[in-house]
Amino acid sequence: MTAAILSLSAVAFTLEYAVTNVANLSHGEILTVGAYAALVVHQRTGSALAAALAAAAAGGLLALAMHAAVVDRFIRRGTPTLVIFIATLGLSFVIQNLLVIRFGAANVAYTIPSGAPFELGPFLWTAVDLEIIVSALAITAVLYLIISHTKFGKALRAVSQNRELARVSGINADVVASATWFLAGLVAGYAGFILAESVGTFNPSFGFGFFLITLTAAVAGGLGRAFSTMVGAVIVGIALEFVGGYVSAGYNLAFAFAILAVVILVRPRGLFVNARRSVFE
Amino acid sequence: MTQYLVSVLTEGAIFGIMALGLNVIWGWSGDFDLAYYGYVALGAYMTLVLTIGRQPPPVQYILGLELPYPVAVLLAVASAMALALVIGLIALRHLRGIYFSIVTLGAVYVLYAMAGQFVPLFNGYQGLSGLINPMADTLGIDFNSYQYFFLGLAIAVFLLVYFFMSRVSSSRFGLALRSLREDERAAAAFGRDIYRLKLKAYVLGAGLGGLGGALFAAYLSAFNTSAWAPLETVVLYAAILVGGRGNIRGVVLGVLIVYVLIEESTRFLPEIPGHPGIVLALRPIVIGAALILFLRFRPQGLLPERHYVDRVQPAAAEANAP
Repeated sequence: MTAAILSLSAVAFTLEYAVTNVANLSHGEILTVGAYAALVVHQRTGSALAAALAAAAAGGLLALAMHAAVVDRFIRRGTPTLVIFIATLGLSFVIQNLLVIRFGAANVAYTIPSGAPFELGPFLWTAVDLEIIVSALAITAVLYLIISHTKFGKALRAVSQNRELARVSGINADVVASATWFLAGLVAGYAGFILAESVGTFNPSFGFGFFLITLTAAVAGGLGRAFSTMVGAVIVGIALEFVGGYVSAGYNLAFAFAILAVVILVRPRGLFVNARRSVFE
Repeated sequence: MTQYLVSVLTEGAIFGIMALGLNVIWGWSGDFDLAYYGYVALGAYMTLVLTIGRQPPPVQYILGLELPYPVAVLLAVASAMALALVIGLIALRHLRGIYFSIVTLGAVYVLYAMAGQFVPLFNGYQGLSGLINPMADTLGIDFNSYQYFFLGLAIAVFLLVYFFMSRVSSSRFGLALRSLREDERAAAAFGRDIYRLKLKAYVLGAGLGGLGGALFAAYLSAFNTSAWAPLETVVLYAAILVGGRGNIRGVVLGVLIVYVLIEESTRFLPEIPGHPGIVLALRPIVIGAALILFLRFRPQGLLPERHYVDRVQPAAAEANAP
């Protein structure tokens, strides 16, 4: 469950990183905005499907705006990536507090009747659980097809390896970067929706908390590499479920970062890196 | 009104000390450290557990001594420096750029979770309280004039730190740090021990953070997890950036602008009916936006750092060469 949501969020984060070399510290806010968009649309229309689409659309637009208004402007001036990293931290402050102004800082409840639990294998499932896992798998499959089998995916991989070389071989790197951020935003916005659905309540700092775990998963898997990031997310997600179950959920974040610190120190380029470096590994 | 001014100035002096400490790490050494507010918090917690003595259960925490305040401050600074030494030894060894930032971010969240969840340490989320007007009895200061005394103390400590930093700024150590920030490899080629220098800067900066925390604890007389958040560091970064990274006069100006102007001016905005907390939320928006805009349009800040030039100019050096 956590692993499924985490892998969507982490893949989106890693795609953002792949094409711009920027670790987007305001990534969590895409999830938060997705969750709020879902809530608003769900209240208006009463349809969970519309809510899911709204979450993805809001996330995509927000990511596109982040890229166009902040990240790309810095990149065009050749600013060091650390500086852009700091700027995205400022952006995270701004978005979180705009949400506080619009929706208030308190938790809002978002519950979808999940239906009676049923048994499947050794676990108890609800319809929502199933929906989350199936949709996460489906999105992953679609992402895989896009990245590995389309022209756009090829361009994306080229830009992530070397932006200048991609440009001289006739790829419009700026468009590819914007489109990738939009795609990542769609996925992250949807991840915000299913996260809100599974947690049941959220507030404006909800995405940031989850982002910290996302960061762990993405770095553990390998920043900028979509598929190893997914594996990292599954490992971190399962590890966290164990900590939450056997120690205390309060230490979740601390535990995630302990994993992260060890991974960064031991294998700074991620757990699954071989000599061939691409978004694919 | 005087009461208000006194509290603004006291806070300003305390934040000034913290910002000068962070400036050593980010301004000179060039490391974007996100754990910094952890050292402030540790300084504050340590000051409390060293001075307030034992309290009846269910309140529990480590130590519980009743040391005189100045001694507690020194020990609090030492403990912040010790923690920084441990984190720095790990994080500064190979990590730079965002990887360093991510590890320090992790470190501070671990600290935050420990302070909040692990009750025997600092009494968990309830936190610590009971440090009321330290040194008032020994010095015979009554309740009403204590705030002036504490303002004087905070400003005196701030000035001491400021003069110390202005010495450090132009010392060989300060110049060496800047050379690391500009080009680590070149500095290494000139025989600088990068790891050691960066570690020294990190521990020195964290010590000042602990000092700021120790004063802050006495000012608040209590400390718990709602009194600090790991990301409070961002406000300090905004102050340094707006004022002028690396230039201590700039840093002080930045603290004046960010803490005093932004924090205090929003206090007087009228509350909009039906939207409670809107003013509180505006403050981080302004700070976040200032951070982005300054990074984009004026990364050197309002008072830029002086450019240090090699006293031996290349042409002159060539002429002198045999």
